Amino acid sequence: MIERAPTSDRNYQKKITAYLDGALSTEERSEFEAFVSTHPEFKDQIKLKEDEIIRLRSFIPQVTMSPSALETMNHEIRQSIFQLLKRKPKNLWENMKDRYEEWASNR
Amino acid sequence: MEKSSTMRRKEFYQLASPLTEKLYQLAYSLVPDDLQAEQLVIDSVNAYLLKEKKWIHNKHVDLLQKKEVGILRKMIFKSLIRYLGDLGVRRSGQLGEQSLRVSGPVEFSQFFSLDPKIRLVIRLRYDNHFTVDEIGDIFNMPRYEVIEKIHNGRFLLLNDLNKGEEI
Repeated sequence: MIERAPTSDRNYQKKITAYLDGALSTEERSEFEAFVSTHPEFKDQIKLKEDEIIRLRSFIPQVTMSPSALETMNHEIRQSIFQLLKRKPKNLWENMKDRYEEWASNR
Repeated sequence: MEKSSTMRRKEFYQLASPLTEKLYQLAYSLVPDDLQAEQLVIDSVNAYLLKEKKWIHNKHVDLLQKKEVGILRKMIFKSLIRYLGDLGVRRSGQLGEQSLRVSGPVEFSQFFSLDPKIRLVIRLRYDNHFTVDEIGDIFNMPRYEVIEKIHNGRFLLLNDLNKGEEI
């Protein structure tokens, strides 16, 4: 005869993936964590799912930009910010401040 | 206590520049080509600046308050992802998913065989550690739809992996 886990255990088993996916609400999460703290055997099952997530992460490409590419892109972004966020100066003082900011950002 | 002033361009740049590389990685998930991904980031930033100019100008910020900077930076990051997602999914379609699958890195062919939106959601969840609610908030997507995308992406990736192990 196949021994089945109690219904409450099965309910929490179903929630392991959702728990690791961050798909549980705050209350459900707290309830799940409380259950796990009183059922240490659940930790192995969670570990298995965590390993699955690690394998899943290995499918996601990890790309890094070269320092020169990063610098070029940041330069372009800075130019966009300074051009697109320009506002009409209200007075001479603001005009001077804007010009100084532009000058300082290009140094 | 000194009152914080509205955000200046220099301050906005200080908040946004640490996000460049993360945005690039997200863009690369949609268009797996260095130059295309870089262009996608720049276009997304430009689209964001044009649309959110008023919000940025009216936003008060005190860069000395570390906690405030963290919250604001995350808020800006989420908005930028929204623009990047919209533009990137469309661009990925225009470039032709089929050609992307061929030109994309071979070792990640399983990842690039997924629907672009699923790729983005999977990266946000498992690489950037955003919660389901945060992802839903970014794309204005109901919770169940985010969960469905995560589930589908996960199933397709792990299923393909199992096939590979059988061989």
